[in-house]
This record gives sequence, structure tokens and C-alpha cells, in this order.
Amino acid sequence: MAGHSDSSSSEKKSSEAMNDVPTFSTENMQNNMKVIYYSRTFMSIIGGVIAGILGFTGFMGFIFYFLVMAITSIGLIAKAKFSVHLYFDSWNRIILDGFMGGLMSFVLFWTFAYDIVHIF
Amino acid sequence: MGLGFMVGVLGVLFLFHAAYSTIQGLLKIMEEEFSGPPMNLLLGFVFCISAALTVPGYFLSIHPDSEENRIVSLSANLDFMIFNHRAKALPLETDMKLKH
Repeated sequence: MAGHSDSSSSEKKSSEAMNDVPTFSTENMQNNMKVIYYSRTFMSIIGGVIAGILGFTGFMGFIFYFLVMAITSIGLIAKAKFSVHLYFDSWNRIILDGFMGGLMSFVLFWTFAYDIVHIF
Repeated sequence: MGLGFMVGVLGVLFLFHAAYSTIQGLLKIMEEEFSGPPMNLLLGFVFCISAALTVPGYFLSIHPDSEENRIVSLSANLDFMIFNHRAKALPLETDMKLKH
């Protein structure tokens, strides 16, 4: 019992895609997902405030949201030093994750800022 | 962490200043497209995005055999600490000298 060596802080999880199973540490993976989620949520809120200040209405606002999300994705990829496979298991995570949740926050702060700044 | 947080607060303050200027009618954003306001807004946006990328923390490598994942530390849980083991049965004398 005392000699039983196990790495308790990093659990191994294997993806069942191929026979040669690559294992990765889920605790670090969750930490990376949390970082992406925080970054995207904050940038959605800031993008909403800027869209409200600039007075976007209608479709232009959503175009602006996609632009802000694209800039955030580029920033996250640069933060991962352009070697995404070191920190994530697929490209979808760093590009698409948090997109829809961020959209809700963006619209909320967009209408909020627009009302305050332009309608008062 | 502290510096990134301050940069983020500074960016939000820039945005508030831009919003206040727009309310007061100093920056007429609705008529002009790209002249006055984007300077304040662009600066605030740049500060906020740099804060958003530095404040949440670093990315950790997920490969178990990368350099920073080599040493795995167990949590300092008292349940796993063993103080009563068989080392007391070892013949360990403090003034033991080499026999020659």
C-alpha cells in the first residue's frame, strides 16, 4: 500500500478514436478550458459595451461580435504559442468554445450600453 | 495577476470615458465613422484584450510526458502521510563508525 505509486493529481483519460490511445491530463485540460471561457466571456462583455457606444444596430452588431471573437481567438492561439496540440486535443476548443454563451452576454451589454449612451 | 488586472481596469475606464464623451455630445459617433471616437475606444479595447489574455492564467500542457508535467505532487493530505512505519526496526546507530 505504501509502495503503490500513482499520479493522483493528473488523471489519465484516453480518447477512443484510435488504437494508439493518446492520454492527456484532464486537470490541465480543464484549466485551459477555464482560461478560454474567462477570456471569451470578458471579451464578449467588452465587445458589447463597445458596440453599444459605437451605436451599432441590427446586423452590424453581430458582425462586430464575430470580429471581436475572431480577434480573441487569434489572441488565444498566440497565447498558446501557436502550438495548439500542446494544450488542447482539438482545434474546435480554442476556436469555437464559449461562442454561444458569449453571444448572450454580448447582446445583453450591447443593448445596455446602447440605451445608456444613445437613448439615455 | 495584479498588473493584468490594473490594465483591465484601465481599459474599462477608457471605455467609460468614451461613453461619457458620447453622451455629452463631444464625440458625435453617429455621424462620423472613423475619426475621433475610435482613438479612445481603440485604446480601451487594446487594454481590455491584453488584460483578458493575461489575467485568467497560463495554459498548462496536457501531455503527461512534457517537461513541466514530470514531477507530480500528491496533495498534502494527512490521510496519506505515514509516520508509523518499519524504519524504527532498522539498526541505525548514530555513532556508528566504519569497521576496518
